[in-house]
Amino acid sequence: MNTHPAPADQGSGSSADPVRVLLRRHSTLCERAVDPLEIAAGLEAGGVTDRTVASCRHRDVFSLAEELYARAPRREDDAQDRTPVAPSASGLGARTETGSGHPGGGADPTLPARGPVPARLLSGAAALGLPLLPGLLCAGTLAWLVLLESAPPALRAVVCAVGAGAVLGSGVASVRALPATPRAAGMRPRPFPVLPFLCVCWLAGYALYGDWLLRQLLGGGPEFPGSAPAPPPPGVPLGLTLALAPAVWCARWFAHAARRKLAGCRSLEEFSARVRPALALALLAFAVSCPALLWGAHTLADGAYAGGERVDVPAGPAFAATAAVLLLLFAALLLGAHGFRQAARAGLLTACALEAAVLLSVPVARLPWLQALSRPVEALVAHQGTASVPLAACGCAALVLLAYASITLPRASAHHREAAPA
Amino acid sequence: MRIALLTEGGYPYLRGESALWCDRLLRGLDGHEFAVHALSRSARQERAGWCELPANVTRVRTAPLWGPGEPAGETVRGLGHGLHGRRERRRFRECFSLLAEAVCTAQYGVRADALRGAGAAVGAVVTSQADRFAAGLYGLAELAAERDGLSAALRSEQAVRILQGACRAPGALRAAHAARVEDLLAVAERLERALRPLSLDWYGLRGGEAGLSASDLCHAVGAGPAALPGLLAHRAAGVPLLITEYGVRLRAHYLASAAGATGAVARGVAGAPVRALLGSFQRLLTQEAYARAHVITPGNAHDRTWQERCGADRARLRTVYPGMDPAPFDAVGERSADLPPRDGCRADGAPTLVWAGRIGPAKDVSTLLHAFARVRETLPAARLRIVETGGSDGRSRPAAAGGDGDDAYLPLCRALAARLFPADAGGACPVAFDAVGSRTVPTLADAYAAGDVVVLSSAVEGFPVSLVEAMFCGRATVSTEVGAVREVIGGTGLVVPPRDPRALAEACAALLGDRTRATRLGAAARARALELFTVRQNVETFRALYLEVLARHPAGARAADRAQAPDEDDVATPAHPFARPAESHLPGRWAGATRRGAGTAPAGPEGGRSAGTTGRAGRRTTTRVPAGGATHTPSWAGQDRPADGLSARNRPADGLPARNAPPWRAAPERAAVGAEPEEATTP
Repeated sequence: MNTHPAPADQGSGSSADPVRVLLRRHSTLCERAVDPLEIAAGLEAGGVTDRTVASCRHRDVFSLAEELYARAPRREDDAQDRTPVAPSASGLGARTETGSGHPGGGADPTLPARGPVPARLLSGAAALGLPLLPGLLCAGTLAWLVLLESAPPALRAVVCAVGAGAVLGSGVASVRALPATPRAAGMRPRPFPVLPFLCVCWLAGYALYGDWLLRQLLGGGPEFPGSAPAPPPPGVPLGLTLALAPAVWCARWFAHAARRKLAGCRSLEEFSARVRPALALALLAFAVSCPALLWGAHTLADGAYAGGERVDVPAGPAFAATAAVLLLLFAALLLGAHGFRQAARAGLLTACALEAAVLLSVPVARLPWLQALSRPVEALVAHQGTASVPLAACGCAALVLLAYASITLPRASAHHREAAPA
Repeated sequence: MRIALLTEGGYPYLRGESALWCDRLLRGLDGHEFAVHALSRSARQERAGWCELPANVTRVRTAPLWGPGEPAGETVRGLGHGLHGRRERRRFRECFSLLAEAVCTAQYGVRADALRGAGAAVGAVVTSQADRFAAGLYGLAELAAERDGLSAALRSEQAVRILQGACRAPGALRAAHAARVEDLLAVAERLERALRPLSLDWYGLRGGEAGLSASDLCHAVGAGPAALPGLLAHRAAGVPLLITEYGVRLRAHYLASAAGATGAVARGVAGAPVRALLGSFQRLLTQEAYARAHVITPGNAHDRTWQERCGADRARLRTVYPGMDPAPFDAVGERSADLPPRDGCRADGAPTLVWAGRIGPAKDVSTLLHAFARVRETLPAARLRIVETGGSDGRSRPAAAGGDGDDAYLPLCRALAARLFPADAGGACPVAFDAVGSRTVPTLADAYAAGDVVVLSSAVEGFPVSLVEAMFCGRATVSTEVGAVREVIGGTGLVVPPRDPRALAEACAALLGDRTRATRLGAAARARALELFTVRQNVETFRALYLEVLARHPAGARAADRAQAPDEDDVATPAHPFARPAESHLPGRWAGATRRGAGTAPAGPEGGRSAGTTGRAGRRTTTRVPAGGATHTPSWAGQDRPADGLSARNRPADGLPARNAPPWRAAPERAAVGAEPEEATTP
């Protein structure tokens, strides 16, 4: 029941087009709308009632919204101003900043989170510095071992164990901090990847003690409790842990680079073409930095530790075997960070299985009728040395994984905001 | 009977939409068993915990529509792909292509009457779009029922490539043409989340418990993602679907989308292509839900307009007003009805206006203050009390009402009041700000009791809760014509245009000056509210709706037929209202007893009819055996195909809606909705 007649000045009297007035009042809504229904919903939320609709000579808010949708100037450049594309690679930094300033910038995937600046700096520094921690811890442990050279073996063993635990813990922490893509708030952390962790432990263990064990096995041993495991050259653990830093950095950089390219590409093919060089660059960077680090670790640690008495400059196969292990781990890291955890797991498991099979084949061959089993291993070791076993196992697995990564990682689906479950 | 309540971001969660309504419904219908199937919307919601569940909730199943989802587990073999085998992949490609094409196509908005007027061409286009969407959706559902890994497949490169192809195809949305790789990925992710209900094990299709397929009725709260499980259960087992919407879900989606576009909400990817495609997907999903639902209950005429716009068949819409508890207001309401009107009904004799609600820009209190200044010119003794209600009363507010400026708005109002009405010599100000729970206003009912006339000045409003409360209290009201105000008030109060202080002032002054009229209006308002807006009315309407839907569309009756010819469109066959006896819907523990007691009696007349179709009956019975141990369908139960011929062929998109709508629709319709004209009480 209306006690008042409709105000006379609302539609009929004024010369101005009421639809144009509405259009001006709701210009942002109308320009950005992707659907007349969106305008209808927005108009209603903005207080447009049936009375207003009637004054615009429309039957309902939907037909009014359709007219507004048809009359509003479309923002064709919406996609452009969302990410002002600087086609040259030099514009990356600028693009990131403008992206954050845009209304939709909260969703800009290149930014990890929107927090206060000091907190972001701190988290960035932590993410960069964390991968260095295992190497430093390992170096510290080795230094303590040098200092405690004359200490009782029990103490040295304790130091060794504590150091190994610390190194492993920090390594896990730095790897799990890797996915640089923003996560939904309150998301449950992924379950701890037990199997890959065990594989990595096995591979590292083999890199440290595998050669010794294989030599013992081939020589008819090992005799328990006679032979304590020979300490590996300290450059090996140091090199392994130090190489974690470039691995994590390279993987991070690649993820960021791909994310940035994601925003600017029009088609999947273009995206793949632009990501492939980045992937190659990341691989190359790791492949260059890893031997350099290994060489550095060997000259530093072996020289200091051996005190000039046993200069075991890494021979070709041993050096290459460590590099192969590292390459395998890096490939698995890349694949796992982009959601291909099963592939990474399969690669690691294959390498572990190959090494274990080689080790097992030697004692098994002592059984009657099974001598033939150890022949290939013996021949390989005789010609190429013990280090050729991990080299072959890890190298093959690494090559397969890298080939797989070179196919899958340039695809857009590898760069979802959250890595795929399992 | 066993009812599956489907919610999305809703009931069992404390911070759910319409949680209060669901709770009252479940407690009110304690004769039925409810299985709550809830899709949660965020981690925050899950952390807030559940409501206290009534005893008739037999089980609660939840699934997240956020985050990375459940890990696919060890069942998914292979390297990064979800579906294996060339056949599965081809099926996935075909189904997802259909879905993507439908989503990317530019046709928007289906309106039955528009299609009737326009030639057959437009109708055919839109229908084929809806059909393609449905074909793709159900194809994916079948695939997900057979194999794991749909989720991974939706995130795969193949899916992104299909999306890209659909976006670049001629006839695609203009915004979709501009989609970049980033947008495609975002859309793929969101689609994967939205389609997660397809992969759930709620339908009893892969062994295990029967879940939704064993229920007699699916009651979906909202037509969007919440209705998706209901659609699938309907598809798989013929379970009838009832959709209730207090606030159209699609409208809420568009509002959120618009807010994302203008930067009001920095959530999700707000690029135009993403918004366009997701909006299109939600619209198609909503259309499909409306088309398949057997009954749709909008909360008011406004929701109804939206639903009709999105293709809901008018014949299947029943407005069911939200119910509120009148008990707190009874004392005040009874007192107010005491005629004859007294001269000075207030202790101090001053005619008083009351405004109650949560203060925010949408409530437009400033207009009220300006209007009150004009009222004071006519009635210098008039007073205004602005009572702020806490937001903690569990009401579901319309999405538009809450805003960022809420906190800043109250001081503005106070400042405006102080400027317009400087305190007089005695220090008394004609405008008083109170809050419910304070010393002067202990309860909400006291707030209304303190006034002669209750005024609502909102510029935007959904369902005006405070208006209904005032009606319960028997107060005459002056309100602005927004949202559902007109149909709620229905002639028992004055309605003025929004944002018009002069009109508001004149109406207020008219009622304040004429107490007899105000009292009569108030009494009429209370009578109207008690009839239409009580919890009891709401619950009883749903009780009747359940029985009616069930009588018309027995669950599971068509499962066997569907399995034979899944693409065959159902024909509108006449309904046999009592084809299934009522006791077949009783929970298992009661049904057994009932059948033992009186089971053989009705078998006589029906037995002969089922004899000819024993094969079908046997098959149907076996499909329902794994449901809950006990067979709920006696083999003598009617054989005839139910009347959900309404569901597919009869869609408005086909251009012949409602022509063969059964006559039984008419009566309840008039009772529920047509109430306003007859109820209108002229003072």
